[in-house]
Amino acid sequence: MSDFLMTPLISLKNVGLCYRPLRTIFSRTKKEIWALRGLNLQIYEGEKLGVIGRNGCGKSTLMRILAGIYGIDEGKVRFSRPNVHVELLSLGVGFEGNLTGAENAVLNGMLMGKSRAHMLERLDRIKTFSGLGEFFDYPVYTYSSGMNLRLGFSVAMETDPDVLLIDEVLGVGDEAFMAKSETAIREKFTSDRTVVMISHDAAVIKRMCQRAVWLENGCIVAEGDPGKVAEQYHHALAGGQ
Amino acid sequence: MRSHIPNKTMFISTLKRYCGIILYRTIAGIKSEARQNYLGYLWFLLEPLLSTAVLYIAFTQVTGKAGPQYVAFLILGMISWQWFESSCMLGSTAIKVKYGVLSQFNLPKYIFPMVSIMVNTWKFLCVFVVILIAAAIMGYPPNRHFVYLPLLLAFQLLLIVGVTLPLSVGATLMNDLLTVVSSIFRLLFFMSGIFFDASVVPENLKSWFYANPMAVFIESYRMVVIHDQPPYMPRLMEAAAISLGFLVLGVALHMYYDKKILKLTNV
Repeated sequence: MSDFLMTPLISLKNVGLCYRPLRTIFSRTKKEIWALRGLNLQIYEGEKLGVIGRNGCGKSTLMRILAGIYGIDEGKVRFSRPNVHVELLSLGVGFEGNLTGAENAVLNGMLMGKSRAHMLERLDRIKTFSGLGEFFDYPVYTYSSGMNLRLGFSVAMETDPDVLLIDEVLGVGDEAFMAKSETAIREKFTSDRTVVMISHDAAVIKRMCQRAVWLENGCIVAEGDPGKVAEQYHHALAGGQ
Repeated sequence: MRSHIPNKTMFISTLKRYCGIILYRTIAGIKSEARQNYLGYLWFLLEPLLSTAVLYIAFTQVTGKAGPQYVAFLILGMISWQWFESSCMLGSTAIKVKYGVLSQFNLPKYIFPMVSIMVNTWKFLCVFVVILIAAAIMGYPPNRHFVYLPLLLAFQLLLIVGVTLPLSVGATLMNDLLTVVSSIFRLLFFMSGIFFDASVVPENLKSWFYANPMAVFIESYRMVVIHDQPPYMPRLMEAAAISLGFLVLGVALHMYYDKKILKLTNV
């Protein structure tokens, strides 16, 4: 492992997170659901970390902890320096149907931690990258779901966080845009940005990441070389079936 | 939690960013609402005029009162109440409504309740200006006591924010609260002196009547606009203090639940 990888940018120690769903006086649903428990993980500056695991193993919860959306119930999350900008790549969330693509691009970028001026400067690039043409100035409710994703993706590519969290998204849209968006994501992977990517598809993790962790029932069961972790994961899946 | 404590400049720049989000989301909300109807922005004036007309017709038929003074009296009460009620009710559900957005972006949870309040405040201000012009035409021109209006508006906004912040947390954690609160609002609607003057309230009930900040604000608007008199300051200060109390509670609840609330709700 090279030197720049040696400082953990984010370290999670014995982290636990628990959901407490609302109950009614007549129902007896479970009081506590521990999505993660006893989780130890270091994320190093500049690394590309893959997280694999089945549905419901706590992957998305882990992402939300890293993004600062959820507070944890146990353990510690430490950042090596203050003001690390962590952003979850989410496409088209929070768009207002009655507003135009351009207006939504600015608003969405602001939610992702960028200033209005930053987004206004990049509006032309977003328009070009999205390939929406004149639709960029039409209300978003006129968009197809593919166009929605295109706009969301183009906006996300213009907000450069220190740590990018990717949840199952690689390429979006039709064939042409798929190639373009995958290239853009790959660029993020080749830059010195820290990227954490989750997927239930071990092949993707193997292809894109330098290190992988396998998450099962809210804690890490294997960690290390993506190839080896993927193999163990597959083995367990096959055994489970 | 996160070990770093943001320094002062960071804190200010973050706060500026949140204010920016609230401001531009508010503008977007106004535009978005206007684009939903054929008559667009005109509805910001038509809607309260319509509901006041309905009440005016109903009440003049029942009470036999009529004339410009009663119209001005009724309208001032109605629009300030509507500003209060619709802001609080919409703001209370804002966290639930924006659950999807809040679970993707790291944002403080007060942002969307504040946006609902600001959109409603904008709508109210449009109407308020038109009402003042209408009042001038009906024989109540601007007088020197209008200098109190910005203070009155600021105090009422303080009450609205103060009531909405705790409610937005409460209603997200327990939906039942909304039903209870809307009943309380209905009760207050009839007890805030929208349809009657405070002078008809029996002497022994007056202190209860004025414990409701909305009753104080509504009376104060009428003192200034219709009666050309300053508002009664001690009462106004009391109402502001109650509003501030709600605000402190709201801020405390938001600070405590900010990172917890999404894990505790079922949307």
